[in-house]
Order: sequence, then C-alpha cells, then structure tokens
Amino acid sequence: MKRRNFLAGTLTGLAVVANTQHVFAQALAQSPLPGLPGAANRCLVLINLQGGNDGLNCVVPFGNPQYYQLRPTIGVARNDVLSINDKVGFNPTMRSFKSMYDKGMIAVVQSVGYPNPDHSHFRSTEIWQTAAPDKYEHTGWLGRYLDDANLPKDNLFNGVALAQVLPEVMVAGKTDVPAIAQINGYGLISDRNNSASMAYTKLVSDNRLPFSSPYLAHVAEIEDHAQKGSQELPKLIAGYKPAGSYPATPLGRSLALAAQIVGSNLGTRVLYVQHGSFDTHVGQKATQDRLLGEFSDAIKAFYDDLAAHGADNRVLTMTFSEFGRRTAENASRGTDHGEASPLFLIGGGVKGGMYGAYPDLSDTNMGNLKFDTDFRSVYATVLERWLGRPSAPILQGQFSTIAALG
Amino acid sequence: MATALTPRTDVAGIYRPAGHLDAATALAPYKGAWDARMAAHLLRRAGFGSSPDEAAKYGSMDVHAAVDALIDFPTTDSLPEPDDLYDPRAAYMQYLQPGMRPGALDDMTKRKIGQDVRQHERQSVIALQRWWLNRMLVTPAPLQEKMALYFHGHFTSAAIQKGVSPVMVYNQNQLFRTSALGNLRDLTWQVSTDPAMMIYLDNARSDPQHPNENYARELMELFTLGVGNYTEQDVRESARAWTGWILRPRDGTVQFVPFRHDNGSKTFLGETGNFAGRDIVDIIFKQPASATFFANSLLNFFVYNGPEPQLVDAVAKLIRKNDFTIKPVMSTLLRSNVFYSSRAYRALVKSPVEFAIGTYKTLGAKEIDDRAQRALVQMGQILFYPPNVAGWPGGANWLTSQTVIARENFLASIVNSPMMDSVDWMQKMPLKASQAAKDLIATVLHGDASAQSVAQLTDYLNGAGTSALGMLSGENYPERIRGAAYLTMAMPAYQLN
Repeated sequence: MKRRNFLAGTLTGLAVVANTQHVFAQALAQSPLPGLPGAANRCLVLINLQGGNDGLNCVVPFGNPQYYQLRPTIGVARNDVLSINDKVGFNPTMRSFKSMYDKGMIAVVQSVGYPNPDHSHFRSTEIWQTAAPDKYEHTGWLGRYLDDANLPKDNLFNGVALAQVLPEVMVAGKTDVPAIAQINGYGLISDRNNSASMAYTKLVSDNRLPFSSPYLAHVAEIEDHAQKGSQELPKLIAGYKPAGSYPATPLGRSLALAAQIVGSNLGTRVLYVQHGSFDTHVGQKATQDRLLGEFSDAIKAFYDDLAAHGADNRVLTMTFSEFGRRTAENASRGTDHGEASPLFLIGGGVKGGMYGAYPDLSDTNMGNLKFDTDFRSVYATVLERWLGRPSAPILQGQFSTIAALG
Repeated sequence: MATALTPRTDVAGIYRPAGHLDAATALAPYKGAWDARMAAHLLRRAGFGSSPDEAAKYGSMDVHAAVDALIDFPTTDSLPEPDDLYDPRAAYMQYLQPGMRPGALDDMTKRKIGQDVRQHERQSVIALQRWWLNRMLVTPAPLQEKMALYFHGHFTSAAIQKGVSPVMVYNQNQLFRTSALGNLRDLTWQVSTDPAMMIYLDNARSDPQHPNENYARELMELFTLGVGNYTEQDVRESARAWTGWILRPRDGTVQFVPFRHDNGSKTFLGETGNFAGRDIVDIIFKQPASATFFANSLLNFFVYNGPEPQLVDAVAKLIRKNDFTIKPVMSTLLRSNVFYSSRAYRALVKSPVEFAIGTYKTLGAKEIDDRAQRALVQMGQILFYPPNVAGWPGGANWLTSQTVIARENFLASIVNSPMMDSVDWMQKMPLKASQAAKDLIATVLHGDASAQSVAQLTDYLNGAGTSALGMLSGENYPERIRGAAYLTMAMPAYQLN
C-alpha cells in the first residue's frame, strides 16, 4: 500500500479520536521500514491450533493404502475427502477452506517439524512459540520481531493477542502486547468517573514503594496500559463494519475482532488467535471434525470480510500446532502425540499450492511422521518475505526460506 | 543429573528477586521483627489473606505460634458439605429397562440424555466451585485449603470434558484436602488411581495392545520429575505398566483387572521387572530429580519465582530427609528466614483466587457473593477447569490488560455493592481526608504505599478532579470512601502476594 493511502486511511481515525493522536503521529513520523515495499502496512495473523492437530485427518493422504491400515476406524473415507490431487485432500468438513485453496489463496506446507521432537504439549508449544528447540528461551519469535522492527513505541497495538493469557510467542523484551479476550467489557468501570480515572492513572505509576518486588514494574506497566489501551481501542475500531458471515464460535468471534483491528489501520503488525483443543486421544472424529469445520468457516468469513474492506492482500494468516499425531490410531479411536504435521499459509502474498514432502507412512520415528521442513524455515520466509525483516537475528540462526510466499 | 525444568511461572528466571540469597541461613528459623504486616504476609501465602482482625490476632502472636496455628490446623469437620452432587448415572437409569445396557439406547435418546446430563453437570460443578470458594474464605484451616489449591494446579484434572463427573471432581478435591500435609509419594499413587485423573489423562482407556501414553508422560513431566529426567522409552514402558486399571461403568469405582494388564517385563528408569503402577511411582520417587522437582514447585508457589539452585537443593534435601512427607517441609519453610526476607515479601503475583478471596477477607465478608465466580472466569482462573494439563502458568502470565481490567472491575463492582454497608472498618474511617487515606492504606495494603500515593488518595478524598470540589464531609463520605477503597485496592501492591 502506498504511503498516501495509508495517510488517507488513518486520517478518518484521527478525526474521530482526539486522544489517540500519538499512535498515528508516531506511525507517520517513522521513516520507511527497511525491507519490502509496503511491509509497513502488512499484518501477520497467527492461529494456534492448540492441543496437537492430527495432520493426517486434516490433509488426508487418501492415495496411500497404508493410511487406511493404520486407521481402520477413524480414517477418512476416500470418497469423503475433498481431494487436492490424487494423493491428498482436505477433511470433508473443510469445504470453505477448499474453495479458498482452489482460488490459489492457500499454501499447504506438509511435514513441518523440528529435530528431536518433544512430545509434551507444554514444551513443544513453547518450542514453536519461542523458535528455540534447544534451550529455554523467554521471548517468543514474534515478540523478538516486535522488539526488532522499530515500530512506534507509543503504539499500544503493534502486536495484539486475542486471548485471556498472553501467549509465549508474543512475549517480548521491550514491547508490551495487550491480551484481549473480547472487546465487550474491555474497559475500566472506574474510568466512567473522571476523578477516579485521574487518581488511578497517578496511583499506578507510583514507583517509590516501601518494598521491592520483581513483579512491581511489570504490574504497574500492565495496569497503565490496560487503562490507556482500553480507553483507546474501542473508539479506534468503532468505524469498522464487519462484512463476513462469521460462525458463532469462539474462533469466529476472534477473527471478526481481528478483522476489525487490522482493518482499522492501527498499525498492528502481528495478531495472535487461538483455536482448539485438538488433543484427541479419545473419540477423535467428532472433536476434530467440529474444530476443522469451525476453522474452515471462520477463515472464509475472515477473508470475505477483509476483501470487502480491501485489506485481504495485506493480511497473511499462518497456522501452527505443537505437533501432529501418531500415524496409528489407539484403542480409544483417538491418536496419541506425534511429530511432523502440515501448516497453512493463507491470504496476502501466498502462492497457493502444495509445499514440502508428502508424509511418509512407511519410514517413521516409531510411528511418528518425520519432518521435512523445519518450522523455522517457514518463520524465516514469513519474516523476510512478508514482514520485511532479516530473519537470522530473530530466529537466532539462518534458515532457508520456502517458495510459498512471493 | 539433569536439572528439573524451571516451572512455567518463570521460564527464564527473570522474576527471581534481586539481591543476594544467604543460602547458609535461608531455611533457619526467622527471628526478626513480627507484627501484623508480617502476619498478613504469612496469611496471604499459607492462606487466602486476612481480615483486619485476623492480621491483628496473628500479629500479636510470635512467628512460631502463628505458624503452629496454621500447620497444626483444627478439624474442619463442622464446615458444611457441598449440596447434592449431580450423578449422571441417575439420568441414564431413567431410560434403561432392567438388564439393558446404555449402549443399547437409540441415538436420539442418547443425545437427549447427553444434553440433559451436561447441563446438570455444569450447574453442579458451579455449585461446587462456590462451595470451595466459601470454604477458602471461612475455614479455620486455611493452609489445608491452600495446599488443596496447590495440588489442584499441580496434579491437574478438569471437570466434565471427558466425562469427569461432579462426584469425581469432589472426591479428587477431598483427596487433596485430606492429603494436604501428607506424603507426596502416597498422594501421587492415590492420584494415579483417582477416577477423575484416570479419565482426564486416559489411563481408564488404556489396554495392553494399545497402551495410552498420556498419563505415563504427564506423571513424569508435570507431576514428579520434569522434562530431561526420563526418555521417550520410559514413557512407553510406564504406559505398559499402568495398563489394567479400569473404571467400573456401573458405579464409577476403580478396579485392577489382571487380564487387562501387560504382564511382560518393562525397563523403566534403569530398573527392569514386571512392573505395575505402584512400582512406577516408587521408582520415580527414588530419582533424585523428584525431590528437586517438588522443592522447586513448592518454592515457586509459596516463596518466590525462579528460586536459586542452592535454595532448591536445600529444600530438596529436606524433602528427602522427611521421605516426602510434606508437613515438616512446610513447617520449616513457613518459619524460615528466606520466607520473611524482603526478597520474598510481595514477590509473587496473586492468583485470581487469591485476589478474589483475599478481597472478601479484607472486607471481612462471611461469604462470597455472585460476583466472585463471574469475575474469576474473566481473570482467567476457573476452579476445576485448568487451561490444560500443565495447570495455570501463574506469575506474570496472570496479568494481561484483559485480566487486569477484570481484576479492577471486580473491585469497582464490589465497593459499589450493598455488601459494603456491613464492612466495619469502612464505616469508621475518619472525616479528615489525609488520615482516612493513611488508614485505608494501613488496612488494605498493610502500609505498602508511598507517601506520594497517600497524598494522591487524600486529594481524591478531597474531591480532586470532580466538578463538585470539596473536602471530605458527611455528605460525600460514603461515596468517596468507597472510591478511595477501590483505588487503594487498584494500586500495584495489591496485585502482589
């Protein structure tokens, strides 16, 4: 997007909200980002498919007879699969998603993982979020991106997590990312009273207390940002009228809010959304089908909405899940924790199609799929070709990029 | 030996308090000053805070009498039992002819029963939450409830999702309560064969042909050893050893069925034999990492986050010396120098439950009101529904802009409720604004605010920022005192435990 358009988009916001000028003033005063033209206006939406999405029943290798031997009861029948080619196809609940794939809006990267995979939800989620498989890293890869990208410091919405708890991926060294579960109720009751509101502002900034606590500065900062951010955000996004038919599910509501934030030009570069739980040890089909159907419909509504606002091309969505699942089903018609699985890149900048190696069901790590593409290669691709930043400092190493983004 | 994984509260150790740990005297008995402020610190950690009267009462004892009162707690038999717990089996029984199995019902009926059951179960668990929250508030044995909350977050199970019924939730909660200061090895074994746990982590659905690894893994990773202290092979072997335990569908009791047990030889953590579940627990507790793991976990929950390895080792040694019996360990910790040091004081973030119950305590309330459960959902801690098997991550994770807003709004709502009419100390605040500000900060924060904050609160009481500027007076007293009480509780110190 050209700078002139960026200005035009934000001026409306300025007229509506007087007390948030600093957000834009900083954004406008900023020199153009190094890297890709237009990167300054791009946004990455990251969707965490929590719990370990079973890749084999999501992108189904129906062309491989072994698949049906491994999954006699929960295998997706060949005739039900929404076939992509003669080897694989989407789960039948993903019709909307398939229609987007057919339009070239989706890149499927198969067999994504990392060396020496961990089978614990907690640790593997941490590894994907910190992009540090070999050590315990405090900051997330998007947190490090936010610290690195020279974004306007006074903008409280450079990164936004649509979650109750701040996910590790958004933990940064220098940037506080607001976690917002829903916009209703995102505000202090005490701000309705001017006198209390003023006193609150002063009291939370008090740092000369008669005790020291490692959490004190953190608490004060969050209290301050909670007040400022909640005063500003509802006004900033009020002008945006959603234009997608979102499913009435938590993910549908999250993506509707995501579109509102991205479409309101707040300068948000990264946005986190979560969906789940995919931890289907028992009775997998009912749970996973429901979740994949919700995901597919919500994504479709999200891009319809963005397209209606001319924002679809500047929003890239990426999914991840802490691991795939065991190739063979277990006694409970479910699957246990596995290793490699596919992820999706959707929307802006994507060169639709299939990437990465097809899952090899005959050469596994004790029943778990081996990885072909290191997830950090996908991150490097997103950082360099979408967000316009050198990836090596953020990922703490050089990873090759993949061709899925152009 | 691999060190135990730092708990999720503070992965990088950045919330370890500044300053130097005197490791040699850290666990020695505290002999420093003792007053209501120190007593309030003890009661926040070993309980759920204190009313002004309780802080004064414990403050007038000495440290040993205060800790003794918490550790040698009185019987709690006279506290009310929860109301009728919903039993889903009754719903099925209505529809079943004698001798008919639930599986024989048609799909429509099953769906109808399913909806009915879920709705009643939800209501029953909500009633159970309320019962527990009230118990935390009024119990004469706060440490018993605090340990139950600690174990609930440690040996995580969640209600309903997988068919964990309200009765099972209650039974597990009672197990944590009766084991409050008992033996960690025994508790681990009891939890392993607890119906809620067997369902939540799938041991109830395992069999020798397809051993389910979920429990086997979490038992070591999250409950006893931590990542890095076992191999994937140990997980698989342990899963085999746990086969054979089933839940009887008829009455929900646990049973060991020999023909469903894998009788083959297993090699687990370096030992080989035809192991079953109890052997697995015993072998785990022979690992040095188990004491280290619990030491780290207890220090993070009760003392401060990111405890130094020397401190962890000292507590681990204490745990081993007492063969995993927790009472003497807690007794030592709660009277130790490190516990009362400035490094531990307000060094933790209050969990939502601590925050909410602590607020009712501060207000001297006799029971919680409707606000509590709604607010706890928004603050991110729903009892019996931990977010995942790792429990609540705690620490800085409790505080986001969203959850902080929920915390403050809970306070705003409560200070504006009729409940405040019965708060003794609130009626007795002086009319002089500067004195009222001091008294509020003394009552609510035990003095933990700066002179600058006292001045700002005084200004607020005197009407700064209002169009009707005017000194605190009989006319505006109720509204301004309530507003000032809110602002005092909204100060950063109040978020800290």
